[in-house]
Amino acid sequence: MLTVRDLTKIYANRFDTQAGGVREVSFDLPEGTFFTLLGPSGCGKTTTLRCVAGLERPDAGTIAVGDRVLFDSASKTAVPLNERGIGMVFQSYAIWPHMTVFENIAFPLRVAKGARPGQEEVRSLVEQALATVGLAGYGDRPATRLSGGQQQRVALARAIVHRPKLLLLDEPLSNLDAALREEMRIELRRLQQQIGVTTIYVTHDQSEALAMSDQIAVMEKGRIVQMGNPREIYFRPANVFVASFIGAANLLSGVCDGAVAPGAIGTVRLTDGARIGCLFPAGAADGQPTTVSVRPESIVFADEPLLNGTVTAASFLGGSARYDVRVGDLVLRVVGGAEDVVAPGKTVGLSFAASSAVVVG
Amino acid sequence: MNRALAWARQDMRRVIAALVGLVLAVLMLPPLWILLQDSITTTDAIGDVTGFTLAHFGKLFTDKDALRSIWNSLVFAAGSTALSLIVGGVLAWLVERTNAPFKILAYLATIISLGTPYILHVIAWLFLLGKIGPLNDAYRTLTGGTANLFNVNSMAGMILIEGFLWSPLVFLLLGSTFRAANADMEEAARMSGATVLQTLRRVSLPLAMPAILALALFVFIRAIGGFEVPALVGMPGRIYVLTTDVYEATIVVPPDLGYAAAFSVVMVVIVAVLLYFYSRLSKNAEKYHSVTGKGFRPRPFDLGAGRWIAGAIIIANFCIVLVLPMLTLLWMSLLPFLRGFSVAGLSMLTLKNFRTVFTAPGYVELATNSLMVAAAAATFIMAITALAGWIAARRGPGGWLLDQLATLSLVFPGICLGVAVMEVYLRVPLPIYGSLWIIAIAYVIRFMPYGMRYVYSGVLQLHHELEEAAGVAGAGSLTTLRRIVAPLLSPAIIAGWLFIFLVANKELAIAVLLASPGSQVIAVSIFDQWVNGQGGELAAFGLIWTVLMTVIACLFFAQGRRGGTDVFGN
Ligand SMILES: Nc1ncnc2c1ncn2[C@@H]1O[C@H](COP(=O)(O)OP(=O)(O)O)[C@@H](O)[C@H]1O
Ligand SMILES: [Mg+2]
Repeated sequence: MLTVRDLTKIYANRFDTQAGGVREVSFDLPEGTFFTLLGPSGCGKTTTLRCVAGLERPDAGTIAVGDRVLFDSASKTAVPLNERGIGMVFQSYAIWPHMTVFENIAFPLRVAKGARPGQEEVRSLVEQALATVGLAGYGDRPATRLSGGQQQRVALARAIVHRPKLLLLDEPLSNLDAALREEMRIELRRLQQQIGVTTIYVTHDQSEALAMSDQIAVMEKGRIVQMGNPREIYFRPANVFVASFIGAANLLSGVCDGAVAPGAIGTVRLTDGARIGCLFPAGAADGQPTTVSVRPESIVFADEPLLNGTVTAASFLGGSARYDVRVGDLVLRVVGGAEDVVAPGKTVGLSFAASSAVVVG
Repeated sequence: MNRALAWARQDMRRVIAALVGLVLAVLMLPPLWILLQDSITTTDAIGDVTGFTLAHFGKLFTDKDALRSIWNSLVFAAGSTALSLIVGGVLAWLVERTNAPFKILAYLATIISLGTPYILHVIAWLFLLGKIGPLNDAYRTLTGGTANLFNVNSMAGMILIEGFLWSPLVFLLLGSTFRAANADMEEAARMSGATVLQTLRRVSLPLAMPAILALALFVFIRAIGGFEVPALVGMPGRIYVLTTDVYEATIVVPPDLGYAAAFSVVMVVIVAVLLYFYSRLSKNAEKYHSVTGKGFRPRPFDLGAGRWIAGAIIIANFCIVLVLPMLTLLWMSLLPFLRGFSVAGLSMLTLKNFRTVFTAPGYVELATNSLMVAAAAATFIMAITALAGWIAARRGPGGWLLDQLATLSLVFPGICLGVAVMEVYLRVPLPIYGSLWIIAIAYVIRFMPYGMRYVYSGVLQLHHELEEAAGVAGAGSLTTLRRIVAPLLSPAIIAGWLFIFLVANKELAIAVLLASPGSQVIAVSIFDQWVNGQGGELAAFGLIWTVLMTVIACLFFAQGRRGGTDVFGN
């Protein structure tokens, strides 16, 4: 449905040598996908989104919705932003303060190209949109008299009122307080599934991305470094960056013990001599230096341990307990059940399944 | 098809930019060109160029009087800048950062002085400090002699009057700097054990220094181009500065326009250099503005018992800037002829002057003319700069060029622009010279930069996503301009309009060479009346005018509160 190929947009920067922007970003989204661009601040998420919206002119690449080419550097096609028929929610919401809620939402219908809906139709479409975002009856409010959460909903209503094929959301929840963010996260996802619109969602919050998305693309320094569904991203991080950016990761370094085929389980000899079984998504040669990522939840206290260590800190988190365990020079983070309390200073054995230890570099 | 459409869409802003650029170029470039040309050519009686010469500049740089004028200009500007900074700065700090009483008086004086033509202040001060004024009168009574304490027609008198003329502006601009400063830094100094004075000297002043320097340059530039005080105070005492030299060279018969142009070029160069440093300084100054939350109000210093001294300073300033000049004008307006303050004079009070103002034919027409010209100029400027400022602030096509063109006239002191506009429109085969149109055109050229500043900073305050949202929603750039930008910008546009309307009616220099008997404006007419000795009518008319302008000044400040911009006169 949405195809983005080799999208490149470099910002020449006078002040430092590392130019910002995005490089060779490609993805392909089936109809109705909730797609998330995830990465730290400054990695190029907004730039990608703005290129798709038509707010920036890419240096190179192709953007197409279905059969319709929106941008193609080779054929010098560039559909102006106001003819792309996309819905977008801006980070600042960009609610026009001089209009009522109704007029804000009606705006896309009123400036539509070609056959504009009549007065009655506008009214019914806007009311429908208001109802969809849970703001029925708010139409006559001045836009300045809305709470943050309500503004967010108005922005969303305005983005979907003209039934766009594509919905773009740039960190829509980042200006809300924590409780509201939680609520809107669920609501947004429900709404997206209800109207079935293909959505690109930009966030730097990994838990948001994991909770909401069908597909996630993790970006670093202007490039997509891994793409996949939330489970793949979380349990099969492609490199050290993804492993440590998404959730907490314990990174163990060692060398590969014998050649391993891609996707097979192999053995890694850690620096202190211990041997652990790991998944090698890309395979490896004998003796190759490797880094292994293990999630804190994947590690259990065991009587037949892979590793032995000493608990240096324990904190009770209600539903679970978190431990820091010193193993040689390393401190591993372990999340355990809340019932079995292990006191600091105690010697423990640690174990994890080979399939949950992933070689990331 | 799509591509053609895309071009047309993008062209919309290009078309606007080209049209606006053309208007700006036609308005702004000829005056500069004509000054340069006149300063290095000889002309015949009808103004056609007959040859190239450096004689004008030669005369300028060898003539002892001319060199003295340049020196006088610098002394005059430096002195009045220093005075206005000290007075306005102390006042701004007391009002914005301490718990001094009577703060409202400082604002009141500022608002009213914004609407009063400079020339009215100058006339009042000439009277107060002059031979028949209360100061010298009291001195003579005390000493029993005939010698005077103070000669107002001196450099000291000029600096004194000009300094107090500018102090309200300094108060306003520094006030906003002090407001924006971060109180935490001062609090931290106080917590570390510093006294109020130590905090001021070691924290507040260094932090505000870039802003103060920028402002000093700004006032200096304005004082170099100042005309009212040199003409009314300096010339009778035979103290000439650059602006009065330009004026003299233009009004002598036959006019020595080459010489006036050469003088003007020198001033334009000085101002251009100063402006360059000013823009660099004020960029720096902005960096020191601490970011503060909305509605943030820094805690004021507690001056203790000293607050009553501070209150006395505020009251004294209020008297000097507002009460004394206004009382003087009132006194002048109520007497049949000019005389000093005295009890004997009280028996002669009459409303005759006010009656004349309302019944004599000239005054109402004069007022309407002034208001119309100022309103027309302000409207035209805001219409042009709303487009130019939007494109420039959003870095649209040709934005940089539009900005440069619109702010070009900043390099002209008012009197030089008057000469240049006169020269340009004498040669235009349209009946512009000698009509009100030429004054309107001169206003437009002179105040265009102000409109630009209001719109520019107004646009910068609008989040760019507000416009982008309209684009994504399907609106073209014209629709976005009409439905989103224009309504959101209207507070800034209205504030700019009011400000231009006020200053246009305030300045003498720009119009003094362009007005003719049939097409007068306020400031020039007051000037003529003063020269002709019609002090009473002038004062009566001036007071009525001041009341009218004060109402508009109040509107201006109310507009500023409503979210207009904080720009003021630069
Ligand atoms: N208009 C611009 N001019 C110059 N550099 C820019 C501009 N917009 C973004 N950048 C740079 O491009 C990089 C990516 O920015 P952005 O896409 O906004 O990041 P994100 O949204 O992921 O935080 C950053 O390094 C940023 O500094
Ligand atoms: Mg961003």
